[in-house]
Amino acid sequence: MTTLGQLVISGILIGGIYALMSIGLTLIFGVLRIVNFAHGEFLMLAMYGAWAVTTLLGFNPYVAVLAIVPAMFLFGGIVYRIIISPGLDKPHLVVVFATMGLSIFLQNVALMMMTADLWDVPPIFSHAVIVGALRFKAELLLGFLITILCTVGLQWVIRATYLGKAIRATVQDGEAAMLMGIPVPRIFLITFAGGSALVGLAACVMMPLFSVFPTVGLNFVLIAFVVVVLGGMGSIEGALIGGICIGVVQSLSSYYVAPAFGQMFFFILFLLVMIFRPNGILGQKGAATIGIND
Amino acid sequence: MSIEPLAPPKKPKRLPVLPQRGKLSMFEIALFVACLVLIAVELSQNLRDVMVLTFLFAGLGLAWNIAGGYAGLISFGHAAFFGIGAYTSTILFVSAGLTPWIGLWCGGVLAAAAGALLALICARLRGPFFILSTLAAAEVVRIGALNWSSLTGGPEGLSILPVANVANMVFVSKTAYAVLMLAYVVFVYAITKALEGSRYGYYLFAVRDDEEAASAAGVNPLLVRTAAMGLSAFLTGIGGSLFAQYFLYLDPTFVISPELSFQFALLPAVGGLGTAIGPVLGSFLITPLSELLRSYLGNAAAGLHLVIYSAGLIVVMLYFPGGLAAALNRLGRGWKRKP
Repeated sequence: MTTLGQLVISGILIGGIYALMSIGLTLIFGVLRIVNFAHGEFLMLAMYGAWAVTTLLGFNPYVAVLAIVPAMFLFGGIVYRIIISPGLDKPHLVVVFATMGLSIFLQNVALMMMTADLWDVPPIFSHAVIVGALRFKAELLLGFLITILCTVGLQWVIRATYLGKAIRATVQDGEAAMLMGIPVPRIFLITFAGGSALVGLAACVMMPLFSVFPTVGLNFVLIAFVVVVLGGMGSIEGALIGGICIGVVQSLSSYYVAPAFGQMFFFILFLLVMIFRPNGILGQKGAATIGIND
Repeated sequence: MSIEPLAPPKKPKRLPVLPQRGKLSMFEIALFVACLVLIAVELSQNLRDVMVLTFLFAGLGLAWNIAGGYAGLISFGHAAFFGIGAYTSTILFVSAGLTPWIGLWCGGVLAAAAGALLALICARLRGPFFILSTLAAAEVVRIGALNWSSLTGGPEGLSILPVANVANMVFVSKTAYAVLMLAYVVFVYAITKALEGSRYGYYLFAVRDDEEAASAAGVNPLLVRTAAMGLSAFLTGIGGSLFAQYFLYLDPTFVISPELSFQFALLPAVGGLGTAIGPVLGSFLITPLSELLRSYLGNAAAGLHLVIYSAGLIVVMLYFPGGLAAALNRLGRGWKRKP
């Protein structure tokens, strides 16, 4: 029983981290209706940034948030201007291949500059948190709390602020929003940059838990895609629920079946969701079958 | 990309210069002759190797294009079909002694079955959802192959004994492989050409461009889509078997990698989606470029060749979305206009 409880709690906590790195992807999809195939490489870049701030400047990775989040916001804005914005009015495929090209580009720039070695930062907390018979890493717990705060904060921004209202109007009907004087291209820019900034936050939270290497993005982006589709593309609460589902599935299947099959299980889960509930748990009706942005 | 109106039948006096849908052109014949000349010319082993890969990937790009370009089924999971083809012929050869000349058809049929199954599973999905599902399906196949060691040899992979023999489809000279791969390209190209001029080809375009209208006109989109994916997977599986016979070694991390799936998709994307000549031009430009960049820069700067390659891809996608085939047509039109 303790083992099961431990596994479920660890799964939930790691799922929170997965959710955090997926929120940016789901936000960008929800507003711009594009899938950023370079999302994993944004994460990789931000993780290198967090590693550099921690190792070279001697700060704590959580302090690195102050530098990495604005830097990723800026980076996202530049990528939007150069690659995403020229492709938005072209067929759907153009953005898919352009972001995939960007993904290969960033991976190999990282490979050239940082080599294929694994880099990590020393653990922040020397003790695990112990509750009764359960033990878990303090970094995971902190990451989970940050995810919850981030989800709530983002919901507040979208529900209560003027910017959020403009974003919602853009999602509902871009043309009508434009006619009402909402600068839709700027909303797109802010959303894309904001989504990238969230990836920066996720990278700082993940740095004490995972090593960084040039293809680290590929491992995580597949998880992020599964999380986002499971929760319903474009849904922020959905990403949190999807992340937790994936975390628990992975944690249980790698203990009870075999570690190697942990990954396979969530891809199968993904395909099952696609067959039976293609719009995810909290997604919009019809999103998957219309083939948005075609 | 709209369907061309059906023109009243005219008797063509001579072959068109540039590739046209469903017709053989002088350009294609010239390209084929140039390939034959290249095979006949004395080249270094290294260049021969590049040539073999260029032909193989041209065929694989063409096979992907049937699903991705003609039917609009953008799949990032074709490495699974490639792997199924490669493993089927190799396992049949290594453990049952069946010659790869027969084994490759078996691999193709298994891959086709997998492709049709995937198309049925993803029948309702469109756009990014379809892409991500194919990616996930290929990952399931990869992890499966990695862990089913008794069949696939797991992470250590499978080797084919390098006993050169025509019956084993193992050759000493790279020229023989170049001929084999060129035959593969011609085979897939002929199927593509026959497809695009046929009634079924028009069904594909109709389903890709407007599914509801196609459905209203009496075309069954599910059937058309499944058949296209099956055919594409079949041809990709055959390419996988040929790859296995050339490298004589298989391991799941390479043969079923997402990177390989991306590569199958990139060649037609750069060359021109939904055209027969596109993937060929894409492979003829990109495969030698990336192979040569790799061999010249590889040691000095790991990854530089892919940096150049991906930057080129982004520029082509954003500013020349029709790819090389469209550029060729534009060039041809400009040339014709001059007296």
